[in-house]
Amino acid sequence: MIQIRDLTEADVEAVYQLEKKIFKSDAWSKQNLIADSQASHTHYFVAEENQEVVGYAGLSSPPGSFQADINTIAIAESHRRQGIAHQLVERMIHMATRNGAENMFLDVRADNLSAIKLYESFSFDQIDVRKNYYQPAGVDALVMRKRISQPLVMGIETSCDETGVGIVRGNRLISNALNSSMEIHARFGGVVPEVAARAHLEALKPTIDSALSEAGIEISDLDAISVTNGPGLSGALMVGIGAAKAIAVAHDKPLYAVNHLVGHVGADILERGSLQTPSIALLVSGGHTSLLLVRDLLDDVELLGETIDDAAGEAFDKVARVLGLPYPGGPEIDKVAINGNPQAIRFPRGLNLPKDMAEHQYDFSFSGLKTAVARYVEKAEDSSEEVQVADVAASFREAVVDVLISKAVKACIEYDVPRLILGGGVTANARLREVAKLKCDEAGIELRIPKFSLCTDNGAMIASLGAQLVMAGRKPSGLGFGSESTMDVSKVQSL
Amino acid sequence: MILAIDTTAGTTAAVVDKQQVLGFSEFEDRFGHAENIGNAIEQALQQAKVAAADISSVAISRGPASYTGLRVGMAAGIAFATSRSIPLVAVVALDAVATANPVENSEQWMVVSDAKRGEFFSCRYSGVDESGLAIRFSEPEVLKPEQVEKYSDLARVDINSDAKLIGMYAEKAIEAGVDLSDATALYLRSPDVTPSTKKRVTG
Repeated sequence: MIQIRDLTEADVEAVYQLEKKIFKSDAWSKQNLIADSQASHTHYFVAEENQEVVGYAGLSSPPGSFQADINTIAIAESHRRQGIAHQLVERMIHMATRNGAENMFLDVRADNLSAIKLYESFSFDQIDVRKNYYQPAGVDALVMRKRISQPLVMGIETSCDETGVGIVRGNRLISNALNSSMEIHARFGGVVPEVAARAHLEALKPTIDSALSEAGIEISDLDAISVTNGPGLSGALMVGIGAAKAIAVAHDKPLYAVNHLVGHVGADILERGSLQTPSIALLVSGGHTSLLLVRDLLDDVELLGETIDDAAGEAFDKVARVLGLPYPGGPEIDKVAINGNPQAIRFPRGLNLPKDMAEHQYDFSFSGLKTAVARYVEKAEDSSEEVQVADVAASFREAVVDVLISKAVKACIEYDVPRLILGGGVTANARLREVAKLKCDEAGIELRIPKFSLCTDNGAMIASLGAQLVMAGRKPSGLGFGSESTMDVSKVQSL
Repeated sequence: MILAIDTTAGTTAAVVDKQQVLGFSEFEDRFGHAENIGNAIEQALQQAKVAAADISSVAISRGPASYTGLRVGMAAGIAFATSRSIPLVAVVALDAVATANPVENSEQWMVVSDAKRGEFFSCRYSGVDESGLAIRFSEPEVLKPEQVEKYSDLARVDINSDAKLIGMYAEKAIEAGVDLSDATALYLRSPDVTPSTKKRVTG
């Protein structure tokens, strides 16, 4: 029984022996083999029979290149003509598709007719010839290409106060239409669920229309629809769910119900063309403050911690109100904090004491901080002192940013994850970006902050997560799912 | 051929053509609109043995009704019509009920439905026009129990609206040239919120 699996470090010696036997003087050195098979942008597979490596293949697919190359493929002499190469190629096509490749390339000896036939059976076409490529025999190399049709997916997002409809093709952003009800919420000092839900219904048609016209496509061109079904405000979520289900039925398209928070992580795929894992994700908005460990976007997302009271964005809104600044508070506090001293007042850092570490190492709390700011301001006002708004804003902002970034960086170090993705509306905060950059540079962590239109709630990130599910060959969600306002991050897709 | 959707009570969808109900699907659960809307539409189409492409317009019920459920059906109808580039019409549920249930030999009658909090959505009607549509005597409104009492001598219809009634009303009304283009929800009440005020944390 032949088994195809990922190559591990323990296979390198066996693969090297096969490489030497098959390619003789052209064989790669062991160092080259180790380097290439362990590079972050390659995927090596081995074919194994009775615990013996009888074949291997290597695929290269640099992030954001939208292409994949078959670097090598070899089968032991004794095991040829058994369909092993077929299985390896199939596995590489699957991997290339999942990685967002739109074209797959390979070189093959012009005299290797059985290999050429195999590739042709997978719809590889010859696009070029490299004359006398294989020396010393002087045999030509044929360059072959397979086009991979990545799925065109529309995503619908209505979990809070933004009506988002986005369209992606595989890992590529095609369009991202948005209508926000933020201004209506301003007079209430925060998002009012019923007001948000009403606004979604009114924004639905115009947002769908702009996403389609911006993309220059028809709905019938779509391969799938995806929709946020949690976490979020129930009444708001249901507007998107109703719309998505109707489109799915109206056009007989598969429908994927996906997790809003995981969608935020999926946004980075559209920015760089692929998602690097593992990754720590810090999602901060008016509704969420969550720290995630993403080992695999579709199968292994773990919640390391979250806020136990107010979301970070909510804290900004509330403190802005205390300081007499308008809603939303984030940008307003950012503005006045520029002229303030962040060290002027030492506001408390929530859940940051040694005693908190056992249970709340990666959790956040901003309610106490907000109260501390209010007390400070009230005390000053009561004694008729002038409140130094700039200093209060800067010191408050510093406290929030300090806790957020310290915990995120700590998680990267503890879990040995070399990258941090930021998402959510609070990523617009200038100081958050600044401190994140500084601390990540210090710790040798790669910092990813997608552009703002992909950081705030949007439909494209939901389309992106839907596309990943399609590319991985996952089953659609069917029509029976509902909204789940408190959905767990480990549930990427509702079935 | 009209696809009609109503989520003012349970979740219902119907395919109506020439005042015939070709397909009808109903889910009674008053809290399962989001779960059931897709299956309701699909089943109505299947029962009518028509494809989505055969539908020439969509009629939605715009309430009044419980907000959250109402929006699910409206969102579905708006999205169905938008995605198929076909016309959308919206029907006041009380009008559809009144038209389907005219009270004969009565100068005036009223249609009521539960508005929660002890209140009622209501509209009064007087006669039917030449197209068979109930003629409004009042605007749709929310009545307190004592206001309903004021009309205790009027004949009262408290039948729930459903997609069949919406579809049949829409067909008649379109034919009669009635403007049903206002596809905003008829909530009849403002959201229950008050603008924020600054509160002290210290006493």
